[in-house]
Amino acid sequence: MERRILFYAALVVLMVAVLFPLYWIVATSLKAPRDTFTIPPVWLFEPTLDNYRKILANQTFLNAFANSFLTSITSSAIAVAVGCLAAYGLVAQEPAHLRSQEKFILSLRIAPPLLFVIPVYFLASRIGALNQHWLLIAVYAFVNVPFAISLLITFFNDIPRELRDAARVDGAREFTVFRKVFLPAARGGIVATMILCVLFTWNEFFVALMLTGRNTQTLPVSITSFLTFQGIQWGMLTAAGSLIMLPMIVLGLLVQGQIVRGLTLGSVKG
Amino acid sequence: MTTLDDPTRFFHRPIVTALAATSAVLTAYVVWLTTRDVSLLRSGRDVFVGADNYTRIFTDPRAVAALWRTVLFTVLATVIEVVLGLAVVLFLDRDFVAKRLVRTLLLVPIIMTPVVVGLTWRFIFDPATGMANYLLSVLHLGPVDWLGSTHVAFFSVLIADVWQWTPFVILLVMAALESAPTDPLDAARVDGAREWQVTWYVLLPMLRRALAVVALIRAIDSIKAFDLFYIMTRGGPALSTETLNYYGYVAAFTNFDISYALTIALVLTVFTNVALLAMYGVLFPKAGDR
Repeated sequence: MERRILFYAALVVLMVAVLFPLYWIVATSLKAPRDTFTIPPVWLFEPTLDNYRKILANQTFLNAFANSFLTSITSSAIAVAVGCLAAYGLVAQEPAHLRSQEKFILSLRIAPPLLFVIPVYFLASRIGALNQHWLLIAVYAFVNVPFAISLLITFFNDIPRELRDAARVDGAREFTVFRKVFLPAARGGIVATMILCVLFTWNEFFVALMLTGRNTQTLPVSITSFLTFQGIQWGMLTAAGSLIMLPMIVLGLLVQGQIVRGLTLGSVKG
Repeated sequence: MTTLDDPTRFFHRPIVTALAATSAVLTAYVVWLTTRDVSLLRSGRDVFVGADNYTRIFTDPRAVAALWRTVLFTVLATVIEVVLGLAVVLFLDRDFVAKRLVRTLLLVPIIMTPVVVGLTWRFIFDPATGMANYLLSVLHLGPVDWLGSTHVAFFSVLIADVWQWTPFVILLVMAALESAPTDPLDAARVDGAREWQVTWYVLLPMLRRALAVVALIRAIDSIKAFDLFYIMTRGGPALSTETLNYYGYVAAFTNFDISYALTIALVLTVFTNVALLAMYGVLFPKAGDR
């Protein structure tokens, strides 16, 4: 009995350590300015939505929200569409061939983003594309394609080969098999892949920092502009931070079973 | 059966070829740029300089210091996250109420936007009004200048990184543990092994592969870590948290020294691959015998 109490006590400590920063940022966003910096911290405070009102009236932030939405949805949709085609072809190959192709695709994700962001920046600045949405969408689609292919292969591999063979025997053309048999059968996996692509793109900072201009700034870039104003406006900043991450936490929890699978593929497969 | 006229090749071949061609062209372009002196500030001085950029990087004390800092950060982050993650997995390896809930909540740091994670920790580490110093003051310790001291700032960023990525190690190793067979464990117990012996001699060897994979992933990501450094310290104070990746960013986007920045990026890529191969050799000796 004592051991169980000890276990649960340790478990509570662990979970507080995991969740405290999230709690703290959301709680701060709901505090009035007089409560934000009090030491010792006020645990019971009267919540106010003032910070949210201010941030939602901020045109720069709203534009960034729209940009993030447009960029992540469009680039993920392209990546998933391309990824489905490639994955369909690849799972039909001999296992040895599939593995070597998979290895190549994964190796694309090891290079630091700096390596391709600088030449893209250099070229884009020459043709005046730095402030245009298509540039960011194209770069993110390029980054997401290898990831989408690797993840979709694992879902397509779960579809019994007999399904494809049977449809082929019935005289269906390859593209019909792809559209009518594989896409419906892997629907869950395709949706999960799409959500993970949106999640990574939405959260991405490094590429966005360098390749966005005034009109194309995404949320993670736009939020850093609150850091350089006279001092840091923590109230608005924490409200903005909460608004940025909460949709992704909801999306992430929807596909929770796939996240570790996705992140593992994201870098190296064992 | 794959035959020559198998139409499935039309599905993946154009895409894989396009990816390969794009990366080949980009790499060639990058290598070409590193042999020149391209700078956005000094237009018109785009001349061939041979290996100058490469000799510069190894004689530039700032680059060398940044490289060592990257090594230190990667080793510390990977080791701490894997050891801590494994400890938590062993701790959670039993049936208890709300296990599913715990697992779900562990996802939160992983999917939190990294920029927001950086801001949160910057807020917690605020020297005057932050939570970290408040907790220390309750224990009659501190205050610590978490982000303002050249000795401490690096470790403050490390703490934030450990907070965000240890849950990933936990979830991945947990999944491996649950798919592992329990028979060898029971057999060892029947043979009279003590619980720590079962863990050390039976359980850990079974988790070897999962631990190796997760260590590789964390190492690759730590070498490229950027967001937390940018938000929490911007490489400061006095360059004490500047990693090679960050220095490459500064070279390109503060100094507009395109060629030199790309040389840094290329050296970083080579360094990543060497580290990867070395780790792979250590973690998977004689691949295929298990």
